[in-house]
Amino acid sequence: MTVFLNSARPLRVSPGLALWIVAGFLFLGLFGPWLVPHDPLKQNLLAAGQGPGLVHWLGTDHLGRDTFSRLIAAANTSLVGITLVLGIALIIGIGLGTLAGYRRGWTEEAIMRVTDVGLAMPSLIIALAMIGIFGTGYWNMVIALALAWWPSFCRVSRAVVVGVMNKPHIEALRVMGASPLRIFFVHLLPTTTGSVLVYATADAGGLALSIATLSFLGLGIQPPTPEWGQMLVDSLPYLEGDPRQVILPGLALTLVVVAFNFLGEAIALNRVPRPLGRRLLARRRAEAAAWDRPPRGLVTGEKA
Amino acid sequence: MTTPVLEVRNLVTHFRSVERGKTIKAVDGVSLHLNAGEIVGLIGESGCGKSTLSRSIVGLATPNSGQIVLDGTDLSTLRGSALRRTRSAIQYVFQDPYSSLNNRQTIGEALEEALVIAGLPAERRGARTTELLDHVGLPAAIAPRYGRELSGGQRQRVAIARALAMNPRVLIADEPVSALDLSVRAQVMNLFFDLSRNLGVACLLVAHDLALVRQAASRNYVMYLGKIVEEGASTQLYGDPRHPYSRALLASAPSPDPVAERARPRVPLTGELPSPTNPPSGCRFRTRCPVAQAACTATLPPPVEVATGHRAACLFEGA
Amino acid sequence: MNAVYDIRDLTVDLYTRSAAVRVVDGVSLSVAAGECLAIVGESGSGKTVMSFAPIGLMPEGVSVGLSGGAQLAGADLIGGDEAALARLRGREVAVIFQDPMTALNPARRIGSQIAEVCTLHLGLKGAAAEARALELMRLVGISDPEARLRQYPHELSGGLCQRVVIAMAIAAEPKLLIADEPTTALDVTVQAQILDLLRDLRARMGMAMILITHDIGVVANAADRVAVMYAGRLAEVGPVDQVLRAPTHPYTRALIDAIPRPEDPVGSPFRGLPGMPPQLAGPIGGCAFAPRCPRATPGCATLRPPMRAVAGTPGWQAACHHLTLAVIPKGAAA
Ligand SMILES: Nc1ncnc2c1ncn2[C@@H]1O[C@H](COP(=O)(O)OP(=O)(O)O)[C@@H](O)[C@H]1O
Ligand SMILES: Nc1ncnc2c1ncn2[C@@H]1O[C@H](COP(=O)(O)OP(=O)(O)O)[C@@H](O)[C@H]1O
Ligand code: SF4
Ligand code: SF4
Ligand SMILES: [Mg+2]
Ligand SMILES: [Mg+2]
Repeated sequence: MTVFLNSARPLRVSPGLALWIVAGFLFLGLFGPWLVPHDPLKQNLLAAGQGPGLVHWLGTDHLGRDTFSRLIAAANTSLVGITLVLGIALIIGIGLGTLAGYRRGWTEEAIMRVTDVGLAMPSLIIALAMIGIFGTGYWNMVIALALAWWPSFCRVSRAVVVGVMNKPHIEALRVMGASPLRIFFVHLLPTTTGSVLVYATADAGGLALSIATLSFLGLGIQPPTPEWGQMLVDSLPYLEGDPRQVILPGLALTLVVVAFNFLGEAIALNRVPRPLGRRLLARRRAEAAAWDRPPRGLVTGEKA
Repeated sequence: MTTPVLEVRNLVTHFRSVERGKTIKAVDGVSLHLNAGEIVGLIGESGCGKSTLSRSIVGLATPNSGQIVLDGTDLSTLRGSALRRTRSAIQYVFQDPYSSLNNRQTIGEALEEALVIAGLPAERRGARTTELLDHVGLPAAIAPRYGRELSGGQRQRVAIARALAMNPRVLIADEPVSALDLSVRAQVMNLFFDLSRNLGVACLLVAHDLALVRQAASRNYVMYLGKIVEEGASTQLYGDPRHPYSRALLASAPSPDPVAERARPRVPLTGELPSPTNPPSGCRFRTRCPVAQAACTATLPPPVEVATGHRAACLFEGA
Repeated sequence: MNAVYDIRDLTVDLYTRSAAVRVVDGVSLSVAAGECLAIVGESGSGKTVMSFAPIGLMPEGVSVGLSGGAQLAGADLIGGDEAALARLRGREVAVIFQDPMTALNPARRIGSQIAEVCTLHLGLKGAAAEARALELMRLVGISDPEARLRQYPHELSGGLCQRVVIAMAIAAEPKLLIADEPTTALDVTVQAQILDLLRDLRARMGMAMILITHDIGVVANAADRVAVMYAGRLAEVGPVDQVLRAPTHPYTRALIDAIPRPEDPVGSPFRGLPGMPPQLAGPIGGCAFAPRCPRATPGCATLRPPMRAVAGTPGWQAACHHLTLAVIPKGAAA
């Protein structure tokens, strides 16, 4: 995944564009099932392998299913998958990480050992191992991916909590005799959740890729459910005759992965103050210039 | 004699050093007491252990040994929520008014939360919040605002109001005005007078601005490298410092009057505070003491009463 | 007068996302060789921006509009090119900040950091740079310099780090040293040592110095002249003996009055200033201090007081409409 992203870096998607792509993905993911022009599952062998046309805008695959509809439906599959995995991984990761940072001592030691092991291995390998144990299936995939993803959230949460625990506003609560539960649930959890969600944005792209990869390997989303990785593997045998069927899902996937990544990066960078844009700067200059016009001599008197 | 509200007996707080096997002897056997309604100063160079001592008293640092006795109750005999409840009568004011309030809370919410923790019933919290703000000289209209919208002085007063929500008997203020401008320091300092005189709160004022402590505190402790080296009333300590360290410390503060400043005798206090991991044997001040003698290497000087309530820990006190 | 650094009618506007703000408003000051000019004022009064903007060190994350004139050793600073300015920094003018740790690289040894500055500004190489580094460390009074050369910043105390930063600042024997709160993070005992060091270096090298501080004790100890700033403007400027002992501007007076004095009885209330400094935005119509000033008259709020000479002492000026009322008996503040 990192190799993939590093090579994608020179693309330099602008944060604005990334935001639009992610928004488009979310929109299609949420409303796709109602937007598709054709039933993405309906086969029509008579229309198999068609090129783009008025009826099938992006053509059909080798079973005659409408490619455009399948691409959109796959966004929905992907989004639901990402949401489920992130949801579970965030709950585990934030919960354990916050606990580790709050309790310190042996609790932290135990949690962080497990986390370190998890972080040392590539997420996909962990997920593959889990699937090896549980067997294939939708929920098995979701759980396997969640188990592979929580350690990074756990580490971030712990770091945030450790950083915030000796901040005076938390120490003040301890001095006031606030119960540990209040400090944990009212003050620490909201803080970590906010910070971790930024990381989660960047990670959503990686997850989309992993879901596709697992499906590509036949271990994730099972046919006939439309899914980009699965669409790729499905049409691979027809690569030479109809490369469009391979390129389109690949392109959709790449866009989403890169866009999520740049969006996450942009959110993280957003905290660093940037110089003003040209338009805003001109406005501020004009404001300042207005100060020095006539009223000055009248009201402010002479300068030394 | 009145019994003190807070008594600290022979408190020791050590930290594990990053260097293996070494300990940082931040607080090394300190005893002090505070009476009700009294402001007591704690002065000394940075790194001498003032903050660690303060934090140990309120439970933010864990002492290795020693006792903290609040109104006759030894806190080390308590555990869990009983300890938290009892200890909340000792409150703490932080140096940095910018990070001691949660940026996500409004002033009203912060005070409300303190009152919830203090166990005040919901219907009385609103009135009490107004009362607390009034105590620290802030209008009730400030309650819906966020801490970041206030000035440093206002934030520090909110922090004090929050401490007051716990009905404290003791207030420990660690450099409460160091981060504030000279012009607003007075507002916060006068508040401490008000709390001690009108609410009977005992205040421990930790500060390095000696002129400020002299005027605010009636008694003082001077700390050096984890130990108290001198204690006495302000008139005694600032008028007639007996420990060579106190003398050097008082002499190194510049005067704001340039003529007096030029005439000020320079007592050269060379070098800096030695490392608390490996304090000098005998008298800890001997490496910088201008009047050190051979005997100072061998013996740890005990506190000697030089006048009523005025003690100095020097073998050659008054030399 | 042989002014090393001379700023004329300097105005600095900051353009932020939310507004344009005038943080320095028509300030004129100069420092002569060998002289120490202290700049005092509440935080946010523009001390840092005023001192650093002309030499091209701007506040981060905002755009800056600069007008007026500034000269360093006769060379114009404003409107010149950025590269020339960068060449001046370190060589002709050096700076010291409050926190010495931010000026030092935590991952590199002290010796190599000082030597690097010598290479950069003096063109010294290898052994020559190291020899100069050693010499500089002796100059700033670091004991056992050979051993210290090999240490990392975190192994040194705050006071020693500040000495290292000073050594790096004076490496090229600059004509002007701007020190922004150099002793604020240090103890009084160490502060006294650093101030002595700075005075000694200044005398030895004939260097001009701008000392930004909010501690009047530091001003009294170290400065020859003092400039008092309020809300981006000069309130008063003059020799320390006059300004600190017989301030004529109501703000200076209130500021000095707020310092606890040895003769104040124990337990007596502290004196402060009522109100708060103005929220900066556009230039303030009249006198910026008017809302807090005990001597304000209706005219003060509409007409900005110009800097005027205080009779009797050359170089003593204050910006107040009612200066003549402000005769304070000599020695009153003593
Ligand atoms: N949490 C900690 N861990 C390790 N050492 C500490 C810790 N807190 C303080 N110290 C060390 O203890 C000594 C005393 O510090 P402190 O109590 O902060 O002094 P002061 O408040 O007088 O400046 C210092 O040497 C400091 O480095
Ligand atoms: N990076 C910045 N962004 C926005 N405003 C700034 C920045 N730096 C300084 N200012 C504003 O400029 C004014 C003067 O600041 P400064 O010169 O740092 O004051 P001082 O040094 O006297 O405390 C302040 O009102 C401050 O809010
Ligand atoms: S005991 Fe000795 S070294 Fe310690 S303060 Fe007294 S004279 Fe100095
Ligand atoms: S001009 Fe007026 S308001 Fe300003 S300082 Fe003088 S008397 Fe006060
Ligand atoms: Mg401290
Ligand atoms: Mg500043």
